[in-house]
Amino acid sequence: MKKGYVIKRILYSVFILFVVTTLNFFIPRIGVDDPAERYYPPQGNMSDAEYEVIKQLTREEYGFDVSTPEQYLNYLGDVAQGDFGTSFRSGNPAVTGLIADRLPWTLTLSATTLVLGLIGGILFGVFAATKRGRWQDTTLLNMSTIMTALPAFFIALILSFYLGFEFEIFPAYTNPNLVGDFSFSLDGLQMLARNAALPIISMSFGSIIGYAQTTRNAVIAVTNEDYIVTARAKGLPQRSIRYKHTLRNSLLPIVTSLGFSIGGLLGGQVVIEQIFNWHGMGTLFLEANEMNDYPLMMAIMLLLSAFTILAILVTDLVYVLLDPRVTVGEKR
Amino acid sequence: MKKRQDALHIRIKRQMKRRIQGLVYFIKRLWAHPKGKIGLSVVTFLVLVALFAPIIAPFDPYDITERAEKGLSPRLQHPLGTTINTGQDIFSMLVYGTRVSLVVGITSGLSIAMVGAILGVTSGYIGGFVDNLIMRAVDVLLVIPSLPLVIVLTNVLGRDYWIIILIFVFLGWGGLARTIRSLVLVIKNSNYVRAAELAGASRWRIMIKHILPGTSHLLIMSTALSTAGIMVAEAGLSFLGLGDPTAISWGRMLAQAQEGGALLFGAWWWIIAPGIGIFLAVFSFMRIGIVLEEILNPKMQASAGIFKIFKSLDSSYVEKVFDSMDEEDRQKTGAVAPQPSAHSWEDV
Repeated sequence: MKKGYVIKRILYSVFILFVVTTLNFFIPRIGVDDPAERYYPPQGNMSDAEYEVIKQLTREEYGFDVSTPEQYLNYLGDVAQGDFGTSFRSGNPAVTGLIADRLPWTLTLSATTLVLGLIGGILFGVFAATKRGRWQDTTLLNMSTIMTALPAFFIALILSFYLGFEFEIFPAYTNPNLVGDFSFSLDGLQMLARNAALPIISMSFGSIIGYAQTTRNAVIAVTNEDYIVTARAKGLPQRSIRYKHTLRNSLLPIVTSLGFSIGGLLGGQVVIEQIFNWHGMGTLFLEANEMNDYPLMMAIMLLLSAFTILAILVTDLVYVLLDPRVTVGEKR
Repeated sequence: MKKRQDALHIRIKRQMKRRIQGLVYFIKRLWAHPKGKIGLSVVTFLVLVALFAPIIAPFDPYDITERAEKGLSPRLQHPLGTTINTGQDIFSMLVYGTRVSLVVGITSGLSIAMVGAILGVTSGYIGGFVDNLIMRAVDVLLVIPSLPLVIVLTNVLGRDYWIIILIFVFLGWGGLARTIRSLVLVIKNSNYVRAAELAGASRWRIMIKHILPGTSHLLIMSTALSTAGIMVAEAGLSFLGLGDPTAISWGRMLAQAQEGGALLFGAWWWIIAPGIGIFLAVFSFMRIGIVLEEILNPKMQASAGIFKIFKSLDSSYVEKVFDSMDEEDRQKTGAVAPQPSAHSWEDV
């Protein structure tokens, strides 16, 4: 029964990915008859005849000289083979290579933030739940509203101002030589850690508070369950109840919230990367936006969406595996 | 003819009166709550600031002739100093920025509630193919990272504020529609809807007259919360320099501060000021949303998972509200209501 669900879930994810890919194909074509006009907008000092020639060249270069359905099929085929076209940058590098260059840098930030957020959030959340209703708990509640009202980019600016410029504890901007000089040695890793510190700290605040809030609510919900009351009545030590019985069961909502938060994390990181000039996909995306580099932009969008779909798929499946009570085959 | 018109008039008047009474009731309940009082007063204050910006602000930040010396620190004439690169009065910019934030936030919040309600009710009540289509669209919208998508769409469609509002609405209705749909699935089976169906009321009449009012508390709540969410998103967009380039907004002030070297020259007032603006606006709307949640559903204690709504404009916390209402409903009617699970794509 579970096997059928898993297969269904995977097929549905593929379907969603397909819809997203289709959207990706059509977004640059909104509002123009000819995608060449989008890729190469008319410049002020160009005569109509000249522009017509340029359009023709653009069409040939990017394969727009066939009908739209054919272009769509070509696009799907290319994407399926991992070919996202060529960028508008000088030398027309392949989009895939550009992204592959930036991906590890972006993932370094997001993975560290995620791990920090989960560890800090779960610890803080359990702590707040055990102190339910007391000042430690209300502090968490108040902090979570405050943190949502303070955008991460504002925190990043403040941190870069005080820790970066005033007290010079961490570099306020990423060292431009970081990428070139980086090696897997002690020095290299140390340099990476110093440069990544501020971006990670500024994103972790929100992450920790968010997971803490989820954990706190989940733990409190579980605490009222009968089996916890039973465990307490049996006289089990407080410690064992808290970690073996309560926390384990309250992990489920955290796992489900993880899938969606990964997408939010990657998307939100664009701003943070821009502030610290981090050599990641966020800055690549903004550079592409400035140059109207559609192939690159759409490829990054597709990749981020694919990440989110994968994350949601994995968390959903893990949820099913974690919770023996979920009998997926028989619902409704 | 005259009589008929009069009757219509009276009916409209009565309805209006009822609406206004409902609103007054809401505001009274909000005001009675200590946290609601803070939120409500701050929002009122911000609305007044936005309305009377030209009177409150000592200078007109849009007027290039009203520029002072560059990079002044806070002083009597310039309570928050001036900018380093243009010499604009930061306090005046802050006051004018309120307009952008509130207009974009509230318009998008209201429109999201409207679109979410229409699509959610249609999806839940009509069901079948329409339902499937709308729900699949929601699934797609929720997996595309919103900030990059907003950036691409502004690149394609332009950066006027009304376009940005449209984009926010287009991206934001998903979570709400899904929540409303699950609520409608419960209401659909209630006796009064059955009675209306038996009496031969049309689908539209049932949807508008009988089902929509049952979802109003969710709508009011989500309007406050999505307004807060949109205001942060707008600030982020303007901060990246991708908002309306002609308007002074808090996000753009922060961007100018970063570009103009506020960090380098130690002009802390230039960074703090717009930050406080964003904070106040978002905080007060969220407070109102949380308090409404407590008032409308006393079972939900405090702010469960508010955070999530924010991160991906995903209203999973409203789902929890709905879960508890569903529970209540089942106990009351004994009807078997569909069990909403924590899964996002449970009904594949």
